[in-house]
Amino acid sequence: MLKSKTFVKKTRSGGVMKVVREHYLRDDIWCGSEVCTECKQESTVLQKDACMESSLCSYPHYLVPDTNVVLHQIDILEDPVICNVIILQTVLQEVRHRSAPVYKRLKDVIHEKEKRFYTFTNEHHRDTFIEREPGESANDRNDRAIRVAVKWYSQHLKTFESDTDGLKVVLLTNDQGNKQKAQDNGLLVYKCEEYVKSLIANPELVDRLALSSDDKNEITSSKVLFPEHLPLSRIQTGIKSGSFLQGTFRASRDNYLEATVFVQGEGEDSTEVCVLIQGLQNLNRAVHQDVVAVQLLPRSEWVAPSSVVLQDEGTAKDDEDAEEEEGKLRTAAAEAARKPTGKVVGIIKRNWRPFCGMLNVSQIKESTRHLFTPAERRIPRIRIETRQASTLSGQRIMVAIDGWNTNFLGGAGEKDTEEEVLLLEHDVPHQAFSQAVLSFLPKMPWAITPEDMMKREDLRPLTVCSVDPPGCTDIDDALHCRELENGNLEVGVHIADVSHFIRPGNALDKEAANRGTTVYLCGKRIDMVPELLSSNLCSLRSNVDRLAFSCIWEINHKAEILKTRFTKSVINSKASLTYAEAQMRIDDTNKNDDITKSLRGLNKLAKILKRQRIEKGALTLSSLEVRFHMDSETHDPIDLQTKELMETNSMVEEFMLLANISVAQKIYDEFPECALLRKHPAPPPSNYDILIKAAKSKEVEVHTDSAKALADSLDAAKVDGFPYFNTLLRILATRCMMQAVYFCSGMDSDFHHYGLASPIYTHFTSPIRRYADIIVHRLLAVAIGADTTYPDLMDKHKQSALCNNLNYRHKMSQYAQRASVAFHTQLFFKSRGILNEEGFVLFVRKNAIIVLIPKFGLEGTVFFDSKDKVSPNIVFEEEGPTLSVEQHKFHIFDKVKVTISLDDSNIQHQKIRMALIEPVIPGVSVPAPDTERPAKKQKLDR
Amino acid sequence: MATVQVSEAEKVYILHGIRDDLRVDGRGCEDYRHMEIETDVVSNTDGSAKVTLGHTAVLVGVKAEIGKPRPAVPAEGYLEFFVDCSANATPEFEGRGGEELGTKLSNTLYKVFNNKRSIDLKSLCICAGEHCWVLYVDVLLLQCDGNLYDAISVAIKAALFNTKIPKVHISSDEEGGKEIELSDDPYDCMRLNVENVPCIVTLCKVGHRHVVDATLQEKACSVASLIISVTHKGTITCMRKVGGGSLDPESIFEMTEAGKRVGKALHAPLIKLLEQEESLGKKRQKVGFLG
Repeated sequence: MLKSKTFVKKTRSGGVMKVVREHYLRDDIWCGSEVCTECKQESTVLQKDACMESSLCSYPHYLVPDTNVVLHQIDILEDPVICNVIILQTVLQEVRHRSAPVYKRLKDVIHEKEKRFYTFTNEHHRDTFIEREPGESANDRNDRAIRVAVKWYSQHLKTFESDTDGLKVVLLTNDQGNKQKAQDNGLLVYKCEEYVKSLIANPELVDRLALSSDDKNEITSSKVLFPEHLPLSRIQTGIKSGSFLQGTFRASRDNYLEATVFVQGEGEDSTEVCVLIQGLQNLNRAVHQDVVAVQLLPRSEWVAPSSVVLQDEGTAKDDEDAEEEEGKLRTAAAEAARKPTGKVVGIIKRNWRPFCGMLNVSQIKESTRHLFTPAERRIPRIRIETRQASTLSGQRIMVAIDGWNTNFLGGAGEKDTEEEVLLLEHDVPHQAFSQAVLSFLPKMPWAITPEDMMKREDLRPLTVCSVDPPGCTDIDDALHCRELENGNLEVGVHIADVSHFIRPGNALDKEAANRGTTVYLCGKRIDMVPELLSSNLCSLRSNVDRLAFSCIWEINHKAEILKTRFTKSVINSKASLTYAEAQMRIDDTNKNDDITKSLRGLNKLAKILKRQRIEKGALTLSSLEVRFHMDSETHDPIDLQTKELMETNSMVEEFMLLANISVAQKIYDEFPECALLRKHPAPPPSNYDILIKAAKSKEVEVHTDSAKALADSLDAAKVDGFPYFNTLLRILATRCMMQAVYFCSGMDSDFHHYGLASPIYTHFTSPIRRYADIIVHRLLAVAIGADTTYPDLMDKHKQSALCNNLNYRHKMSQYAQRASVAFHTQLFFKSRGILNEEGFVLFVRKNAIIVLIPKFGLEGTVFFDSKDKVSPNIVFEEEGPTLSVEQHKFHIFDKVKVTISLDDSNIQHQKIRMALIEPVIPGVSVPAPDTERPAKKQKLDR
Repeated sequence: MATVQVSEAEKVYILHGIRDDLRVDGRGCEDYRHMEIETDVVSNTDGSAKVTLGHTAVLVGVKAEIGKPRPAVPAEGYLEFFVDCSANATPEFEGRGGEELGTKLSNTLYKVFNNKRSIDLKSLCICAGEHCWVLYVDVLLLQCDGNLYDAISVAIKAALFNTKIPKVHISSDEEGGKEIELSDDPYDCMRLNVENVPCIVTLCKVGHRHVVDATLQEKACSVASLIISVTHKGTITCMRKVGGGSLDPESIFEMTEAGKRVGKALHAPLIKLLEQEESLGKKRQKVGFLG
């Protein structure tokens, strides 16, 4: 039977078009129920004894949710308890129209066999199709269609009642009007909440219920009212006319009332503008990483970013408090320091993801509303409704803002949980590799085939060896050095040929491209490629044949490169050494075997190379790296030490740099448009302000005009009786630097690597742990004719997009690494109790100093104003910068003594607490280390 | 136009018959042939009608589109006419054969219908000077058996009666930009007032008398004809002489009087019929082109 559907729609040019679609009605659409004998269906989805233990419906029944129930309560529908559900086509279409993510989730549920969700195409069924009537809105028509379908089902199933015990169909709707009409039609209908609450066996489902609209009103009636977000259409016209700016919202890590929005400039002027946002009202409910529209405030209202560290204290704080804190921000700032300031007027794209955190249980015992504090400080607190507060408190939970997920992760402070949290928080993909990815791994046992040998140079006779940190299983580089007949040296860098195993475009490649990098946490490694590759087939272990990509130079004794060549090869490493072992071999004059000779040659050349590099202006920067000694059983840290650097470290590094530069030059010569390179932009001069000021306070002058000048003045910077000064200065200099980034040569013109003082650079030497290197391998392989190219490799836009992901993953992995170190430091101090240590002032802030403890490579903040104490007299001077507390004046680099303890009063953000011991300032410093822990004291005061 | 060859004897027969008010098919001089009307026959249009008059068959579709009003009359919409002479109607229309006739017809139709006395053009205005409805009236000749003008005019009136224009309203934002918003209810639409829409009556001078609704044979006997558009009140809105011969003032006067009379009588049953059909709504059995 043919019907036509007619509707009018607006065309893009502003016209109006009448659209007529043919709509066929059929009589061969089956009901999908097991009990039905009339429908000639081949397989059934809905079960005969559809039992969900509900106190409302004691008989077997099928559920029919309406559109709004699906849209808002998809969390409920996804629960394994809920099965035997009929999803009407009307509902499916409406859901698809209104929310793509929910539609996707619904589709997934339907495809799951055990869930027994049946899609009934009621719109094409001869008996259930209805036409819209005059005066009926589209929604009313759909509601009616749903009711008609439910009616049809209940009558259809009634026919077979004789052999079942009253199978019924239950409509779930939250719409009062719809419910009333359904009842008038004699249908079984419940509100979603009523029904879920009636599921006696599964009370935990109730928490997954999203708030219905009348509940929501209650919440918004609280005190801080935010300005309405503008509708998208107004935002778009505003952006077009230039009255609003669009950018990514980044909340400040230090101050929860402050954020910046990075606005990408228009056209050629593609510099980023930062717009400062201050105060709750102006932040206007934007969450970190949202894409927002901002409106600039008049110039007179511009402010400077405050250097106050403000932490949202987690406990339910009154709004007055927040206002007070806002007041604190509005300090008179020098005119020059003011920045463009604006307010958020609308949100273009929410960037919500599930957040980890903890529940702050409400003080009122019966209350079901609690605050959730996310682990990430830049995410605001979220209000949650649950009846399981007592079970959830003290647990790490996951919360999705748009849905109603509350998943346990485990007890807070437990090591595995914390690791999971920091991986999630830094968006590190850490799931096990999927079957699809693993299917692209080579079949074991694996051996080098004769065809491989044909195409590759056989370098197995060479004395190749690898030098790595102890315990390293993903060895991606090996070296050799030998004397040639003409007196020159041949040096080879052999890199694991990962691109041989990971072919472009397959699932394995895509997964690696997404992960971007291997993430190293303390005592744990999140691999970029499956372990079979990372620790076995690609790892250049000793005494096995391995595929490699080799870069071989002919070098004279002055370390000048005479010839460079690249080749795919087969190598057989003779030894896997640690840095210390290699160092010992070099130093041990009794040893004279091939490996040692090779190492000595390498070491000699490396020294010359390094000197040359430093002469060119490469920077030697410093950052303290901490290494934990782990207990072999519990994997708890038992001791920590800062990483020691040996000559061999720098030897390996030198040749890696050389290989990277050679390869960068080669691929850029070959593919000027699409070479993947790495650059390190020179920092803007203003970045150095803090460094220059700090050095000046010790009467040392630092020149920052060029990398060379900086390197020289850092080398010259020495203060008598303060041996650690140079290191501190280098640490500060490191903080001034820009991030090095990957980029596609066709999209940029500035290739310079500032830190290495090299005109061109890339990453070639660690393909096992970095995806960028894989791409570089492919490019190089094409350049030497060893492999074929593929379209994406030559597409500079695709490459550029890839670079963005790699840069993001790289940054996140660094953050995760840092967070992991911080966590282990906490664990360490937890077991140690209170310690007294000497440290240096690294930064001076308005209300605090940041102290570095060299022994642990640990940084901490010493606050001078605390909530429950009378604030001492603090004077902050921008020039200097110095901070006077009572009589004492703090400068950068001042030596101080602090006590270190773990503050676990807030279990969510356990932090290292530092308190001043020396210099002694009455009322500020703490007298002795072994008194009661300040954390406890604070607790009692409350 | 489609013509037939008529022999001398036939001519005399026809002429004599008309003189005695008895035409070849038994009609009187002021009688129409059997007429069939069906509206809403093409679902893609906003209004449509099919009219058969004897063996003449025409299909008219009205499409409403948003356009810019003419600068001279910024507060009014307008109509556009296009007549497609299908080669189905007669082999003479093959290729570009029907073009000349089509242009001639559409020009006449434009003169007759596109004025504010026939249709309330102001109601087609959406936003003065910026947006208005343009009604594209497409006429398709399916079969030619004489008296095209009358059949087309009746079909146009019926199609306009049937036309449903979606309701729109203008919303303006503070920047002065205007946005057209559509109602999402397909039943929410505007109807045209067709009360004053005229019908065309063609009078053919045959011998000393004149006939309405001439067949092709009668046409062949005529030297000149007069087309008159008449409203339901009997007002003549347009008059035009077609054909090679000449008409004397007296017979023109007679013919207009007859035209008025016939035209006035044509409107009442037509409107009654259309309203009756409309009232059936969805229950109406559609005949379409196969019936």
